Amino acid sequence: MKSMKNFIMISVFCAALFGATSCHDLLDEDPENNNYTGQTDYTNTSNMIRPLIGAYAEFQDRGWEDFPVIAVRGDDVNAGGLGDQQDFAEEDKFNYNKDYWMFNSVWQNLYRDILYATQAIEEVTKYREFADNQAVADQYIAEAKVIRAYLLFNLSRVWGTVLIPETSDPTVLPGAEPSTKEEVMQYISDQMDEAAPALPAIHPNQRTDIRGGVTRFTALAVQALANLELKDYQGVADATSQIISSNAFTLEPDYYNLFKVPGKLSNENILELQYSDFGTASGNLEAYLFAFFGPESWEPKVSGAGGGWGFYEPSLKYIKFMLDRGETTRLETSVIFTNRGIDEIKKDPNYAVLPAWVSNTTPSGDVFNNYNRAMFASGKHYLPSDQLTPGRTDYGTNKNFICIRYAEILLMHAEALLQGGSGGISADAAVNAVRTRAGLSTLSGVTLDQVMDEKYAELAMEWGTRYYDMVRLGRYDELSYDGRTFTENKIFLPYPQAQVDLLPSLGGNP
Amino acid sequence: MKRLLLMAFVPILLSVTAWGQDEKIVSGKVTSADDGMGLPGVNVVVQGTTKGSTTDTEGNYSIQLAPAENTLVFTFVGYKTVTVDVSTRTTADVVLEADVTSLEEVVVVGYGTQREKDLTSAISTIKTEDIVKTPTGQAMQALQGRVPGLQIVSSGQPGVSPTVRVRGVGSLPRKDADGNPLNTEAPLYVVDGMFFDNIDFLNPADIATISILKDASAAAIYGVRAANGVVLIETKTGKINQKAQITYDGYYGVQVAQNVVKMANSEQFTNMALESGSPSDAAAIANAMQRYGRSRVNPNVPDVNTDWYDEILRNAPIQNHSLGVTGGGESTTYSIGASYFAQDGILDTENDFERFTLRSRIDYQANNWLKVGGNVNISNATKYGQDVVAQNGEAWKIAYFAPPVMPVIDEANDDAWPTKYASAQDIGYRDGKNPFPVMDFNRNKLRQKKLLANFYVKVDLIPDKLSFQTTYNLGSTFQDERNVDLPYFLSSNAQTANSAIVKKSETFFNQIWDNVLTFDQAFGNHFFTVMAGTSFRDEAWDMLEARGEDLFTPGQEKSWYIDQANEIKADDVGDDAYRNYGISYFGRISYNYSDRYLLYATMRADGTSKYQEKWGYFPSVGVGWVISEENFMSDIGTINFLKLRGSWGRLGNDKIEATSGANVLTLPTTAIDETLVTGSLSELTFGYLRWELTEEWNVGLTARVFNDRLSLDADYFVRDSKDAAIPVRILTGDTGIRSQGIIRNSGVEVALNWNDNLSNDLTYTIGVNFATLKNEARDLYGLSYIDGGQAEFLQRTRVGDPLLAFYGYETVGVYQNTAQIEADPVATALNAADPEGDAIVPGDFIFNDVDGDGAITGDDRVILGSYLPSFTYGVNLGASFKNFDLSVNMMGQSGNKILNRKRGEIIWTPDGNMDADLAKNRWHGEGTSNKYPSSAGLRKGWNQRMSNYFVEDGDFFRIQNVTLAYNLQGERLGEKIPDARISFTAERPLTVFSYNGFNPEVPDGVDTQTYPIPAIYTVGLSVKF
Repeated sequence: MKSMKNFIMISVFCAALFGATSCHDLLDEDPENNNYTGQTDYTNTSNMIRPLIGAYAEFQDRGWEDFPVIAVRGDDVNAGGLGDQQDFAEEDKFNYNKDYWMFNSVWQNLYRDILYATQAIEEVTKYREFADNQAVADQYIAEAKVIRAYLLFNLSRVWGTVLIPETSDPTVLPGAEPSTKEEVMQYISDQMDEAAPALPAIHPNQRTDIRGGVTRFTALAVQALANLELKDYQGVADATSQIISSNAFTLEPDYYNLFKVPGKLSNENILELQYSDFGTASGNLEAYLFAFFGPESWEPKVSGAGGGWGFYEPSLKYIKFMLDRGETTRLETSVIFTNRGIDEIKKDPNYAVLPAWVSNTTPSGDVFNNYNRAMFASGKHYLPSDQLTPGRTDYGTNKNFICIRYAEILLMHAEALLQGGSGGISADAAVNAVRTRAGLSTLSGVTLDQVMDEKYAELAMEWGTRYYDMVRLGRYDELSYDGRTFTENKIFLPYPQAQVDLLPSLGGNP
Repeated sequence: MKRLLLMAFVPILLSVTAWGQDEKIVSGKVTSADDGMGLPGVNVVVQGTTKGSTTDTEGNYSIQLAPAENTLVFTFVGYKTVTVDVSTRTTADVVLEADVTSLEEVVVVGYGTQREKDLTSAISTIKTEDIVKTPTGQAMQALQGRVPGLQIVSSGQPGVSPTVRVRGVGSLPRKDADGNPLNTEAPLYVVDGMFFDNIDFLNPADIATISILKDASAAAIYGVRAANGVVLIETKTGKINQKAQITYDGYYGVQVAQNVVKMANSEQFTNMALESGSPSDAAAIANAMQRYGRSRVNPNVPDVNTDWYDEILRNAPIQNHSLGVTGGGESTTYSIGASYFAQDGILDTENDFERFTLRSRIDYQANNWLKVGGNVNISNATKYGQDVVAQNGEAWKIAYFAPPVMPVIDEANDDAWPTKYASAQDIGYRDGKNPFPVMDFNRNKLRQKKLLANFYVKVDLIPDKLSFQTTYNLGSTFQDERNVDLPYFLSSNAQTANSAIVKKSETFFNQIWDNVLTFDQAFGNHFFTVMAGTSFRDEAWDMLEARGEDLFTPGQEKSWYIDQANEIKADDVGDDAYRNYGISYFGRISYNYSDRYLLYATMRADGTSKYQEKWGYFPSVGVGWVISEENFMSDIGTINFLKLRGSWGRLGNDKIEATSGANVLTLPTTAIDETLVTGSLSELTFGYLRWELTEEWNVGLTARVFNDRLSLDADYFVRDSKDAAIPVRILTGDTGIRSQGIIRNSGVEVALNWNDNLSNDLTYTIGVNFATLKNEARDLYGLSYIDGGQAEFLQRTRVGDPLLAFYGYETVGVYQNTAQIEADPVATALNAADPEGDAIVPGDFIFNDVDGDGAITGDDRVILGSYLPSFTYGVNLGASFKNFDLSVNMMGQSGNKILNRKRGEIIWTPDGNMDADLAKNRWHGEGTSNKYPSSAGLRKGWNQRMSNYFVEDGDFFRIQNVTLAYNLQGERLGEKIPDARISFTAERPLTVFSYNGFNPEVPDGVDTQTYPIPAIYTVGLSVKF
């Protein structure tokens, strides 16, 4: 009995002692299901493209509020969505609320993706020394730089003076020195000088690794945009000339479908956000939230197709401008009418009789009913219900979102020449190429006003181009329409309060 | 047989005494109220004399009384004294109740026990009688209002545990990616030695005691797990030589929604819409009148007036039944039981919770040195509901915002299928706004199987002195979640085109192996207990989930499998796991010098694989001085017991999620040329944490006065969480968790209990408890504030102020007229800058220009209050008269604020309904309101900024529980009938508060619409055979 007791006691003790000591190594176990950046094997260069894809993924995963905040202030478009998002409507009227959630959200979204693109540059750089072909690494770095530059461009156009992240570490930004809009645009222009040589001089849709990705011409296009903001017209002309003379781009003959599924990766597109339902009725879906632009009430040709929230309404001023010009193709592509909207136009005796084609049925056969929030819908953000993949119902799903297209390059080129720049094709040639596609007659000896009108007609509802042009040219009277009054102090949005709290170096709002 | 003999014998005795002139013999049996067994050795004394007797081994006694001797006093250690008048009878059976206030009582303290009178720390214990009074599936709910310093925030959703906080919040509460709370502030639950994060699997009736280890000294033996306090739970067990006792406990009741928030009716809603200045809202009203007709009472209002809460609410049943057998032989004790709990939700759809539990606990003294035991507790629960995991169902939110001018069913909605529900889109709103689709077409189910098992071997190395115990504990959960979205169509923006199914399987498998050596020694008046031990922990979790879309036959529940879906989303396949290891060494010394001076010390060293810093050390000490044992106190008869206590301890908090300490890669997907491709990203920020340490001082006083009738426990504590883990925001809105500050909680806790007999038949008790709490960020390591909460509804943690305090502007009224605006420099300046000059109009808020610079800027923001109550209290009353007993519990809190986030939703979407208070008391002309802006004003950014308009008082008072019971005991027709207790309970029959919401219990103070907490009325029956 005694020995039995001892045996049990000793074995229990030993087990306890052994168990406890042998377990100490387990404390050094790493967490499960984690990939550490620090553990990445940079010699495995087949993964080198992954950080770049990551940057594209973030770029294309755009918050729905980004585009409206960037693009609503021009005389081409109104906020729409009446009764909803009042501070968005106020933004359209140049009354800005620094506490408005959308402003902070857009700031956050743009910075997040700028930081991710910066990170892609850093990550690819680490692979570079192990790459068989370092030119590929340099190309990837350059692509990420272009994505980053485009985001930074939009950020600074909206807020003016901002912080340029030098690294992907966000914790250093609260102490960073802010850069003025001129400094940011110069920085972008310089970055594009660095990036362009490393990129293939082909159309994005000619790329085989990342079809539709960034090429040298994307870099040049972004540079042209930045130079335009700098009023460096020679710089604009230099960049646009290179794009035009490459002959890599052509205007899409079918203007209406350029903004629909057939226009995906069109020869006209220089930078676009790509989305897909992968041709299936359900399952994987990468999509932009086009419902923002959709009608609250409609009778889609394909029944069951989802509508939208009724925001982003083409302005009466734009519609009348287009009617005055006798435009059809671009007007019916850019604007979708409701009967209420048509009645509103007709209230003006000058427009009592409208062209016969103006109706609340789109060229694709979808009928837009009257709804309370808006009188018109943005056609460039509309996908006909019969272009939806059967089984999918979300408004606009499977449609791409164009950021920069060749028509804008041509018109920037034309303006640059008229503003004192030189080189490349003539301003007339550039403008007429755009007019011809729109079914309009050619012009000769185009003036700056004619170019700006052409740009208004061509690029309405796209990325606020009209607003930023009018601001740059000081044509505040154009922006002061429908009871609005634009003044110089309204150019930039105030910093979101949350960002002022977080980033004291911004210096707060005046 | 014995009873028969006794019954035969008693008449003989009686006849003998009758013959012996006036002297008589009184006899009877003394039994314990606990188990009905006879109590041996009870003193039976004739009142006012020293004459007495004691009971025999069966509990029987008999005593001869002189003619004037009419009263017997029964006393027994650990039981309440009973006095019985025997002037008119010769038999007196007496039932003795355990004296719950007795300081001799033994309390579990973690890896051992201590006498309550030896405690130097703050421990509160609640017993089964008080737990089972509350009709709930969640045992912790029963503690609401009973323990000072313990905050219980209830949840109304079946199967959801309440939020439990011990002495405030030291660590920033955080949510996971889905917005569900991570419960980083939750205490540690130790159920019979096994660690749990919640105890939703336990049948409350199976619990013998719940002890709350409130201060650091008490909890420190649990080291790294203990920072949020420790809740020790002992399940019921049998006793040696106890006759088998079969118990049934059950209740059935109904839950009734309480304090349903009054929403604006059609007329009020119509007024708000018409006054909003928004043509589209006015048009929607016109559309509603066209579609549904005009009201005959007011032809400018649609002829629909839907009270959406009325439509979605119902009275719902709740029931619990448990059956148990407990007992023991010479060397074995056992307790075996089963229970069934079922609760329907008050949301009128499938959202019930059902739980079946089985338990068995057996302890066996194998011989004089070896004891073994095993304890198994199995629970199988199923929860249905639209939102089975989080507390906030979508249906509640949609019902809140649903316009009253729309019916539930719209027969004219011809396109709708399978039910003709009305869609607000048909009258001009952006989407459907009907709560019924999510109630009908989201069919979610969560199945949870939990197992708690432990086995121990205890060896007495030196009898009564040195023992060794090794225990293996297992706690595991198998969880299956199945969420199904069925297709439906209301209108184009209110539809689910494709059915979808998400399945998620999770397994938690936690093991603890404890080895404990305990040594007891006494030298004269010196008593020592020394304990030393090791503990090894292994916590593992793994998860697999997948999503399928487009079920082949969505109508058939049997086909709700991923396999039956046409598409399986590669993107939504999830596979995750964690495995954490911990090793601990710990020890305790408690020393007692002649019950007068007490010393207590513990030490624990914890190693973990969770953090970058592997080891943490957690010491504690406590001292106690029992003043009443001093000679100079012996004359003060009114004070039976008086003890001063003081303690200090350090704790760790490993509820903080494991952090990577370095950038972690994620793999996002995107579409490139119609192909799904995967990239890689490294998270922009990461957590790096040191141990979050809590250090706490506690001084307290325990007193029993007036013959133990009054007990007092009072404590003052200061608890500092150092290196508190705080999410620090970056400019993208993402956060990284850093050890970034010191958070202090301090307060006073007092519990007073009085019990007395007014007569032999009438006893009563009065208990009062209250606690104060001051929560404060002491230091943020160089930062002056850290922002949390939503950017639009900022919660700022500022040095010197409470954690996550609501932060914003102060309204001081509403502009009533133009003259008032023109007289105000702030408004004048704004209107001058505005081209139309109407930036500020009558009906807009007047904000306090705190810095007086003539403009409302970010610098005018102030702290608007904390979500933590600064004062909580409870009142517990009890009375028993003959066979009746009645108890009434009340509780309340004050000093906390609630963010009425539902009113804040207007910032994002203004086309919803609002509460009636807001609609009625809106500004709509001079002098109509100085509290709320006009309808148009509600939609303006000026008025939408975070202000005290959104932040309301969370004070409330509640009658928590009223229980009336009738106890049936004794014999009928000569046969002993089983003891029975019939009870009627009203749980939460009344709650009084001013907050404009369903209930003022909002765990994090941000009310986005929690599940309403119902009142419950039950009938209960308890029978002991």
